[in-house]
Amino acid sequence: MGGLDVSRSGRGVAVALALILLLCVACGDPEQGETGTPAGSADGTPTVGQAEGTPVRGDWLVLQMLSDPENLNPLTSNDAGASRVLSWLFPALIQLDYETLEQKPLLARALPEVSEDHLTYTYRLREGVTFSDGTPVTAEDVVFYLKAVRHPLVNAPHARNYFNSVADATAVDPQTVRLDLAEVYFRNDYTLGSINPLPRHYYDPENLLEGISVADLNGWDGLDPEPKEKARRFAKHFNEDFQRRPMGPGAYRLEDPDRDWITGERVVLRHRDDYWAQDQTDLEDGWVDRLLFRVINDREAALVAFKSGNLDVLSLSPIQHHKQTGSARFRERAGKHRELSGSFTYIGWNQKRTVFQDRRVRQALSHLVDKQNIVDKVMLGLAEPVESPIFRKRPEYNQALEPWPHDPKRARELLKEAGWTDSDGDGILDKEIDGQRLPLRFELISNAGNDERKKVGLVVIDHFKKVGIDASFRSVDWSILLEKAKGFDYDAVVLGWTGTAAIPPDAYQIWHSSQAIAGGSNFIAFKSEEVDRILEDYRVEFDAAKRKVLYDRFQEILYQEQPYTFLYAPEGVTAWDRRFHGVTWYPGLGSRLNEWWVPGPDQKYP
Amino acid sequence: MLQYIVRRVLLLVPTFIGVTFLAFAIMLAAPGDPVELFLSGGLAAGTEGVNTERLAEIEEEKERLRHELGLDRSIPVQYGMWFSRLVRGDLGDSIKDRQPVWNKIRDRLPVTIVLNTLAILITYLIAIPLGIYSAVRTGSWLDQASTLAVFMLYSLPVFWVGTLIIIFFCGGDFFAWFPPAGLHSLAYEPDWPWWQSAGDYLYHLAMPLLCTTYGAFAALSRFMRSSMLENARQDYIRTARAKGLSEPVVILKHMLRNSLIPVITILAGLLPALIGGSVIIETIFSIPGIGQLGYQSVLARDYPVVLALFAASTFLTLLGILLSDIALAVVDPRISFGRASR
Repeated sequence: MGGLDVSRSGRGVAVALALILLLCVACGDPEQGETGTPAGSADGTPTVGQAEGTPVRGDWLVLQMLSDPENLNPLTSNDAGASRVLSWLFPALIQLDYETLEQKPLLARALPEVSEDHLTYTYRLREGVTFSDGTPVTAEDVVFYLKAVRHPLVNAPHARNYFNSVADATAVDPQTVRLDLAEVYFRNDYTLGSINPLPRHYYDPENLLEGISVADLNGWDGLDPEPKEKARRFAKHFNEDFQRRPMGPGAYRLEDPDRDWITGERVVLRHRDDYWAQDQTDLEDGWVDRLLFRVINDREAALVAFKSGNLDVLSLSPIQHHKQTGSARFRERAGKHRELSGSFTYIGWNQKRTVFQDRRVRQALSHLVDKQNIVDKVMLGLAEPVESPIFRKRPEYNQALEPWPHDPKRARELLKEAGWTDSDGDGILDKEIDGQRLPLRFELISNAGNDERKKVGLVVIDHFKKVGIDASFRSVDWSILLEKAKGFDYDAVVLGWTGTAAIPPDAYQIWHSSQAIAGGSNFIAFKSEEVDRILEDYRVEFDAAKRKVLYDRFQEILYQEQPYTFLYAPEGVTAWDRRFHGVTWYPGLGSRLNEWWVPGPDQKYP
Repeated sequence: MLQYIVRRVLLLVPTFIGVTFLAFAIMLAAPGDPVELFLSGGLAAGTEGVNTERLAEIEEEKERLRHELGLDRSIPVQYGMWFSRLVRGDLGDSIKDRQPVWNKIRDRLPVTIVLNTLAILITYLIAIPLGIYSAVRTGSWLDQASTLAVFMLYSLPVFWVGTLIIIFFCGGDFFAWFPPAGLHSLAYEPDWPWWQSAGDYLYHLAMPLLCTTYGAFAALSRFMRSSMLENARQDYIRTARAKGLSEPVVILKHMLRNSLIPVITILAGLLPALIGGSVIIETIFSIPGIGQLGYQSVLARDYPVVLALFAASTFLTLLGILLSDIALAVVDPRISFGRASR
């Protein structure tokens, strides 16, 4: 199951990113192949797939889902498929400009006013914005979102943590909302901008949360019994009653769940004729009349459905890209787009192990790994070697990093320098540590069920063995891997992290030494004082240019230290039906489906 | 007889409790924890890891969730809570999405039952006559050919056949005779007339049905065949022939009836099979059936759903065994009921 696997997990994606990104095709996971950069435009300009004309309304867009969304409550659902559907119903206050990667207003009238100390954000709402039942969106609905998400009994723990630093929220007037924060952080803009107003009158018809503030909910235990009881009742209704009937201010809506949502088969969203920004794609209006999400569990069946014209967009596996979609007939009907994903796969060296504390050993191991070979053999060429945890499509990426050379000779020298020689002639390198002669022996582990990582593991241990390192590989169950990482009880892991071009990265969680504790994300126990300082400064730096300088240095240090051996970022391939016009691919982000339209004569569905 | 039935029915209760308790205990003792999967920190956090300043809060959330779900109690206590709810007809709520378990099952039950009922009917309608024919004409080329054929079918793995069917018969580059996925056409509207809906539905079920049945002929037809052959050697058949009965009467009246008795024991397995589903077939053809629900629930450690499905199939298995025992006793007077005989 996808959700069990780090680089495939939708669950950790910050709400901020998830909701901004999900309107585009290219936000799926890398192994679904829906991500990346236009092959043909390394210069970063968007590539336009079709000759343009004047967009017209009509036709349907048929999309694939791997499984039923199950729950369409925008807060309590926790699944990538559901988020894809919900992103059409619940636009946020602030959106991403796909061309500049800057933020721009959506439901807000302008970017927020931020106080000097960066602790108070004031949003003014756009006039005339309505929910799909016709009622206007007000500041109360923004406050309601925060109340619901901070309510400890609402079943949204995954989302709740992103709003930890929200101390209180106040509706100043019907169009103005003020948010008070407890912590300065440059990405607060993004997190708060991702708030999507929820219709209070719909999700809390009895107004049970009236008179209870976000601050009250933050201090749940101190709440008086009477409001507490009301809040409890609210949580019960909210958790249970809205799974199948979402209602928001988006351009599409789930009109009649009984008719439009067939469990395990499809979800149909219909365009709102009363959308408050009719025909304005920059305000997320779309051209198609219907969005039909079809559940197709099997990738082979999905490709067949696509070829028969029963799907309009599809992400292809490497093998499907190479072998099954090259015919003239296919190319005539479908466009294909290749794009680099923000995820990457790496080998992490547990630096609680004495062997890996020596930088020369880590450097040597990285020299032994032939990344290009792995890209060609394991990924069939659909990946690019990487040298840093920062996504190459982000401005923060350090362009000065050279590819780390595959150089077994240099590796041998480094190992020798570090004291590793084959002194007893058994073919395995050894070294005297604390009076004991130890062989250079370790085990690489990865999560069972991920075939790609297993192949990577098997290829690299082969590289290691050639120079006399006794390396082995083992797949372990995900829950066991979690346990081992928590206890630093392993030698090395093959894993991946996901990333995105949509929002500035923050590497604090993974690389700061304070995070090298049980349950933290720095589970390789990397420690560097300079990196710690950089990461701390970066989080409170509001000037993008200065952040870039900090991260250039940060990446340089990682490059020298090789705490991970960075391997590759996968590329995704998306196929789409050529009857659609307006298909623009934005580097690192994919395409915005709401811009797609079909000329009258080509329209296929009523 | 009545006493026998009452006794058997009463015996169902402890058996049911024993079986479900075992399943419950094994499931909870297995590694993995729904709360951990729902809310894990560190490694599982995906994008950028998780801040340890939040770890305390996440741990608190986990504790609260565990407490709310009763996962912090001992296994017997949890089982007791589950069982007492079950007795009151409450299957509980799914951990994953807090929906009543019954709603989730109800959504997926109809297609599963339709598919399985049709599959069982087809299997019996083909395998029983085939077995009879093979037995009557033992050693004929048709007997040998059909034996070969059913065993070849039996040996073909369904994930392979299913994929081939989709690639060659469901559109794409080859024949577009059948749909590759789902249960309804894209154009389907719930207000279609019933015959159009039903036709569309069956059209979508055809290939999954083929995949469900093709491997099942071997066992049943061989079983029928050997049962027939066993009877063919009996004295009463010789007697029947000796008294001059025509061959069809001998075979269809005497031999067949008696050969069907062992087949009744197989009926016991039919009831649970009605609600069982093949994860593989359902996944290949994107059919939202019980098999998928069970599989996904196991992966998500969604205990209430897994248990409900398990309890249902346990109940139906026990019931099936009971019914087939009673049926056997009814059709075969030589079988006696427990204490009544010695």
